[in-house]
Amino acid sequence: MAHPSQLGFQDAASPVMEELLHFHDHALMIVFLISTLVLYIIVAMVTAKVTNKYIIDSQEIEIVWTVLPAVILTLIALPSLRILYLMDEINDPHLTVKAMGHQWYWSYEYTDYENLGFDSYMIPTQDLSPGQFRLLETDHRMVVPMESPIRVLVSAEDVLHSWAVPALGVKMDGVPGRLNQTAFIASRPGVFYGQCSEICGANHSFMPIVVEAVPLEHFENWSSLMLEDA
Amino acid sequence: MLSSRALVRGLQSGLWRRVSTTSGMKAAHAQDLDVIDCSVPQYNNRRDTPLPDVPFVQNLNAEQKKLKEKEKGPWTNLTKEEKLALYRLSHELSYAEMKKGSDEWKTVIGGVFFFLGFTGLLVWWQRAYVFGDVPRTLSPEWIEMQTKRMLDMRVNPVGGFSAKWDYEKNQWK
Repeated sequence: MAHPSQLGFQDAASPVMEELLHFHDHALMIVFLISTLVLYIIVAMVTAKVTNKYIIDSQEIEIVWTVLPAVILTLIALPSLRILYLMDEINDPHLTVKAMGHQWYWSYEYTDYENLGFDSYMIPTQDLSPGQFRLLETDHRMVVPMESPIRVLVSAEDVLHSWAVPALGVKMDGVPGRLNQTAFIASRPGVFYGQCSEICGANHSFMPIVVEAVPLEHFENWSSLMLEDA
Repeated sequence: MLSSRALVRGLQSGLWRRVSTTSGMKAAHAQDLDVIDCSVPQYNNRRDTPLPDVPFVQNLNAEQKKLKEKEKGPWTNLTKEEKLALYRLSHELSYAEMKKGSDEWKTVIGGVFFFLGFTGLLVWWQRAYVFGDVPRTLSPEWIEMQTKRMLDMRVNPVGGFSAKWDYEKNQWK
């Protein structure tokens, strides 16, 4: 989750998010360089003491300021496309989870081996235990084994929703009648929070997502317990 | 009629002229002229045209004509006042006068501060009389427990939150 007054991204919990962080650093550096150059030019022009009224054209600078931006754009596009294709690699997941969006909660189905399904409602503020995070905690978390490729099939039962977990670098819209696939690998154990990212009605801000990545044993224990409770 | 001369003149002589004039444009003519005949060369006060197309005073009276005749002789014969008078015949404003600028910035800054202060007043009034209590999760006790929980959960352990906590010494780094 984000820490107080955080401005940047959350620390990456998946390899794809790491790539996205590095790409963002790269693109932002280019943006800062261009902005600094433009700001310098503006200040220089505004504070110039003399005026040249007789400039007609200048082929050399026109060539430079056409070719150079094309080069810069290529330098941004190549890493960007690389990550785009990286995210779509065939990855042979160990587990498939279905995340269904409802108004206003998520439900998760683990149907690879047994039929495990449960709803995940936000814990209202008045029911929080001391120390829990307001508007982020849910009664049931989506538990997954860590360091394993997980496939998530996102859909919705009523209106548009979107399943997003920033720390894992994942966001996928839940469209009624459609199955959208996304995947992630949780590189470290932990609890990762996200919120519904497509306006879906009155409680759109109150249907968070909590993914808990745990070692495989713990995942197996948890799923047995959940199946018993069901 | 909206475009009547009287209305235009009233607007120009009042607030709008001061408000709408920028220091750059003011130098083109020191006073706003009623009618400009653009089919003949114009005089202008601009820093990048030291010698405008026409002199400022074009219809010379007898005394000025005499001065112009004297100008055709050696310039060492001209007194300082005559040289200045000749300058003012051909130029309306000197460079120093052109570059002077105005005191408009004081009005602008004053206005900005005034409205900032007014907004601050509104914000204070809202906080005092409109807003209710913040949720209990923002109380110091809750924040303390929440922070402890975030550290236990290793939130953002790489470069963010938990990276700044020294787990051995149990204190912030």
